Amino acid sequence: MDVVVEEVTQIWGQGVSQVKALDRFSHHFRSGRFSCLLGPSGCGKSTLIQIVGGLEPATAGHVRVQDPQHPDRARPLGADSVMVWQNLNLFPWRNVIDNIAFGLEMRRVPRAERYQRANTFVASVGLRGFEHHLPGQLSGGMRQRVALARALIMERPVLLMDEPFAALDAQTKIVMQEELLKIFDRTHKTILFVTHAIEEAILLGDEVVVMTARPGRIKEVIPIALPRPRSLEMVNTKEFGALFDRTFHLIREEVTAALAQQAALVASQP
Amino acid sequence: MKRTDGRTAKLAEALLPALSIVIFLLIWELVVRWRGIAPIYLPAPTSIALQMWQMIAGGSLEFHLGVTLLRIFAGFFVAAVSGIALGLLMGMSRIVSRIADIWIAALYPLPKISLIPLLIIWLGTGESYRIVISAITAFFPIVISTYAGIRQADRGLIKAAEDLGANARQIQFKVVIPAAMPSILSGLQLGMGVTIILIVAAEMIGGSSQSGMGYLLISSGQVMETEKVFASLVVLAVMGAAIMKLQQWVDRRIAPWVAHDNR
Repeated sequence: MDVVVEEVTQIWGQGVSQVKALDRFSHHFRSGRFSCLLGPSGCGKSTLIQIVGGLEPATAGHVRVQDPQHPDRARPLGADSVMVWQNLNLFPWRNVIDNIAFGLEMRRVPRAERYQRANTFVASVGLRGFEHHLPGQLSGGMRQRVALARALIMERPVLLMDEPFAALDAQTKIVMQEELLKIFDRTHKTILFVTHAIEEAILLGDEVVVMTARPGRIKEVIPIALPRPRSLEMVNTKEFGALFDRTFHLIREEVTAALAQQAALVASQP
Repeated sequence: MKRTDGRTAKLAEALLPALSIVIFLLIWELVVRWRGIAPIYLPAPTSIALQMWQMIAGGSLEFHLGVTLLRIFAGFFVAAVSGIALGLLMGMSRIVSRIADIWIAALYPLPKISLIPLLIIWLGTGESYRIVISAITAFFPIVISTYAGIRQADRGLIKAAEDLGANARQIQFKVVIPAAMPSILSGLQLGMGVTIILIVAAEMIGGSSQSGMGYLLISSGQVMETEKVFASLVVLAVMGAAIMKLQQWVDRRIAPWVAHDNR
């Protein structure tokens, strides 16, 4: 599924306290590609994918999710995408299997069938044996897997990921990145992946969309031509280093600008 | 050496609370005996225990305790059902919450004991009066906690459910109400606390049925049977603690996830 974002503007608040989070953001995320949105904190990356997921209305502009073969057939926003949240948003009162099967339950899939399908996803994310644990009893990495399985079971072609690995420790993060790469190679979903880690963006993505400080606009789109399947060792190649440097210089200006904005905001408060 | 220190510390931690009660009772007993204090003022623990045993053997204590427990659970049940129902309705409907808000704001701060004269005029001093006064009192904390729980349900969870295809009704029943559960349960605990207080107080005030721990307490006090007063107090304290423990146990059954740090 293609994700076409046209001139999307998002404004929070009203009157003098208005904040422009996104300013006429336009980009065509192509079907089956892994796109990383990279930018300083507060640049509207998360807002953008929530708009794409149909979970926030945009102040202005349009988002279309469309089959590249049938671009004329309009699809309701949110019907073809599923979100993996930064804070996971697992249901704390539901055990692993019931969290994963939530979407099927909402679709009124009979219990036996729902558990059978959920079980294959439990196995594929390596959580066998933990089906009846509550999220609160799991480690951060395991909770991450539950959140991933809960999204994947929906079998929607667009996967929206909002800094999913930001809270993980370094080792767990590496393992999860590798698993996500495997899932991408296997399923070829269209992935929009929000991150503020340059290395992660280059390692995972087919393109890195570098965003400006607030209001978020596209600063530059960097195509990542590294071969697939990707592996962590590529971080040490010359190509990777060059891409890193280029991205780093772009992002440094924006982070400095974002910091200045935040400083001005703090100073303006009585 | 260090290890045994740790072990003794643990043992002391386990035993000292019980030991402190034993020591307290011992001092009480000795002071009463040495100073020859009249039992009408302060009976010795042993004579209270003896009195309690006689009351149990005679069946009167079981009867009064049973009656009080029945009334407590009846009052609590009425308050829990009506309180949770209204709280949920308030959480689901803006209009209901607007209307109920003004009534709660007006009636919640009113000391419910002040309604006793009116209730006795309307209902007499029978069972319904006691159950109504305790249910009215327990109703408010339950309604307020239920409504707060619904209102404060995590926005992130609601959005996640929406993203996973839940409709408005499913969000209400599969997300908002479970998310409100911890708050509802703590409202029920508060409600149980005031139910116990109000039932015993109502038994002390309108005594036409001549039953219940409150009646036992006040009637024993009126004829200066101080041992009986103390025995009743001990039973009331144990009863209250047992009910609270039972409720905590039930809560852990209903909402086991609360013990873990969430999500």
